[in-house]
Amino acid sequence: MILGLGLIGWLTARARAARFDRGGRKRLHSLPAQHGWYVGMWTILPPLLFLAIWSAVSPSLVRQTVLQSPAAAGLSDFAFERDSVLAQARAIAEDPFAGDGDPLAQQLAPVVGATRTRYAWIGSAAAILLAFAGGAFAISRIRPDFRARSKVERTLMMGLLVASLIAIFTTLGIFVSLFWESTRFFEQVPITQFLFGTHWSPQVIDAKNPGASLGAVPLFWGTFFIGAVIAMLVAIPFGLMSAVYLTQYASATTRRWMKPTLEMLAGVPTVVYGYFAALTVAPAVRKLAVLLGDPFASSESALAAGLVMGVMIIPFVSSMADDSLAAVPTAMRDGSLAMGATTSETISRVLVPAALPGVVAGVLLAVSRAIGETMIVVMAASGAATITLNPLQSATTVTKQIVDLLTGEAEFDSPKTLAAFALGLTLFIITLLLNIVALRVVKKYREAYD
Amino acid sequence: MTKPASPAAHAPERQPTDWKSAAMQKRIRRRYAAERRFRMLGAGAVIVSAAFLAFLLVTMVAQGWRGFTATELALPLDLKAAQLKVTREQLNSPAADLALASGGLEEAVQNAAVTAFGPDGASFLAPSAWVWVRDAVKRDPSLLERRATINVPAATGFDQALTGDGDAAMEAGVARLTRQNAIRRGFNWTFLHESDSTDPVAVGIWGALKGSLMTMAITFLIAFPVGVLSAIYLEEYAPKNRWTDLIEVSINNLAAVPSIIFGLLGLAVFLGTWEIGGRVYGPMLPRSAPIVGGVTLALMIMPVIVIASRNAIKGVPPSIRDAALGIGASPIQVVFHHVLPLALPGILTGTIIGMARALGETAPLLLIGMRAFIVTPPGSFTDPATVLPVQIFLWSDEVSRGFVEKTSAAILVLLAVLLAMNGLAIYLRNKFETRW
Repeated sequence: MILGLGLIGWLTARARAARFDRGGRKRLHSLPAQHGWYVGMWTILPPLLFLAIWSAVSPSLVRQTVLQSPAAAGLSDFAFERDSVLAQARAIAEDPFAGDGDPLAQQLAPVVGATRTRYAWIGSAAAILLAFAGGAFAISRIRPDFRARSKVERTLMMGLLVASLIAIFTTLGIFVSLFWESTRFFEQVPITQFLFGTHWSPQVIDAKNPGASLGAVPLFWGTFFIGAVIAMLVAIPFGLMSAVYLTQYASATTRRWMKPTLEMLAGVPTVVYGYFAALTVAPAVRKLAVLLGDPFASSESALAAGLVMGVMIIPFVSSMADDSLAAVPTAMRDGSLAMGATTSETISRVLVPAALPGVVAGVLLAVSRAIGETMIVVMAASGAATITLNPLQSATTVTKQIVDLLTGEAEFDSPKTLAAFALGLTLFIITLLLNIVALRVVKKYREAYD
Repeated sequence: MTKPASPAAHAPERQPTDWKSAAMQKRIRRRYAAERRFRMLGAGAVIVSAAFLAFLLVTMVAQGWRGFTATELALPLDLKAAQLKVTREQLNSPAADLALASGGLEEAVQNAAVTAFGPDGASFLAPSAWVWVRDAVKRDPSLLERRATINVPAATGFDQALTGDGDAAMEAGVARLTRQNAIRRGFNWTFLHESDSTDPVAVGIWGALKGSLMTMAITFLIAFPVGVLSAIYLEEYAPKNRWTDLIEVSINNLAAVPSIIFGLLGLAVFLGTWEIGGRVYGPMLPRSAPIVGGVTLALMIMPVIVIASRNAIKGVPPSIRDAALGIGASPIQVVFHHVLPLALPGILTGTIIGMARALGETAPLLLIGMRAFIVTPPGSFTDPATVLPVQIFLWSDEVSRGFVEKTSAAILVLLAVLLAMNGLAIYLRNKFETRW
């Protein structure tokens, strides 16, 4: 509706400006279309802004009006009870067959419905009025010498700036929200107990001393063991060797086909990997463990999750290694070959050492990716927090515990829920540090060869 | 090569290498063997990685194809004899489902199965088979007064016995019913247009698919304009100062933040309550709805779009900008009339890849509550909904064996959609890629 009005405004303004252009003695400062944009903006932006504010304000207005209506006299004074009746009334007002709730809610429903319709009408009437007012004001300003272009372009630049600020706001939002909930957690549980405690069992929390069962060391160990040890033992050799083979040995055709194929490994959704790990890999690993003489082997071993995670990371390591190998100057490679070294000697003694900073940075990024990976461990790793060096035993990770803590039925303020945010903050800080270090290494290394 | 024939007065201290000597030949052979080994190792790494992908796909197809087939049994019914306590008026009212359920339809269907298929006949039917009969009766009330044969879904165990890995009782049933010619097999349309259910035979992916589409629509509407506009700003207009650096650093870091952190952000900001000045403000967005999932995923993929768009814009040669400026275009006109159209293929490719990533994402959506048991597809952006990956996760948790094939089938659908999106991205890149 408002967009339609905006379009009309755009067209009329353009036509009006075009008429000036044709019959005018003075030259137009701006193109007719720019006048059109000017009017269109005045027509659309104010009502949209108004509607955004209105949609935030009107629910509380409706609420107040309903509470003051005579039908609401019987409502309980308890905020919780009152809110639940109001919510029921709202549901009935939306859908009369919503079911038979509280009789009071039934009684309130028509009042709620009527009030809502009334406020909706007021809102849309005001928005349309604003659209007309804005449009009329803008049209009245159209003159041959009116600088519509500068105005439009200034607004557009503001829009661009706001759009790019959203990234900062998101980062800030993440940090502030995690930090805020975490401080509330650390009011109840001392930070040292959380960071250095070795016992994690959120299922049984002693209300007097919640920190005793919220020591996160087993989680940090499990995350490190699965994400940075087992997964990397798979991903680094396979990723590096694939990159070496595809860049140094493979024919152009092989490269053209195999590179996208390997990249498909990164495109498979993690939930699919998780399902695969839980359904196919984990039982196989368990069988292996039984063969090795452990009849009570866990079917949720660290090895199964780590293996699949490693496979997922292969293309990541491989493309980072690919980039850093390509950045090594050709002169170094040619020089080595000219001295009589074989290709493999050139790769392992010249190219890889020269590309090492880039490769290391890639591995750091891969680790940061692996420890933040959620679905594979949620589906294939166990929830039991143990500190073990045996990959056939179960281990749990930070991400898995965040999901477990937040998907249970717990109120928002319990130490259990807040612990998830503290874990999230830890994860965020660790991945942030890894990324910053890795990006700095990459940058330094690029400069070295430029 | 032999040694120099004439020993000169100042004989060189170092003898030239004799490449033909046995020791040298051995050494060369060893080095070439190492070279071959290294090469084989590289090829092996590539092949093993590709084989893993192939193994994954084959496993999914092997388990999933059965999710697309349905086994139905032709069940002869005599509802008149069953004497249901249901009237015609009830059938036309909105409460028809309830009336048929309480009128003894489920029992009637089970009795019919026993009559037709033998004493254990009821176990051949899916637990929700009577729902099929109910819907048939609602479509055609005259069924209540006559004999008829209705196709109803077979139980999961029966389906498995049919392909040779069921238990003995079911195998016997299969043999008997094959003789009675009561088994129908066909494509499982239910799977494509139904939603979640407790009975694996009755589940479908349409609800989750619709939820995914709505979530993606929100994601696109937010992430695309914001991502492209901020890429334009950073690449074309931003002055080099501390603020711009801050924006760049935060975009690069956001691109590497684990997705689950965005789930925590969505949970705390959009679904949490805020206490400002003593008054508590309720959740900004409704829980489990496509809109909150869409906004969260939009924040997650925005950096991907920004980075891809910046590269695309960077690829447009400066001569085009200079030419446009030279004939009097304003800086805004240069970008919106000349640079942006040329960069659009690259931007679109990056956007599609980002959207594919959002479509496969599960973890943040789990945290913001899109894991509910959703029986009806969402009607609007604020209705409770689930998405395809979360549906896969939920089904993978089910104990019933019938869900295994449904999970794999849903995975196949998800992979097909993702593959199509990536294919489109590659096609766009190849078709419109310009070398300047």
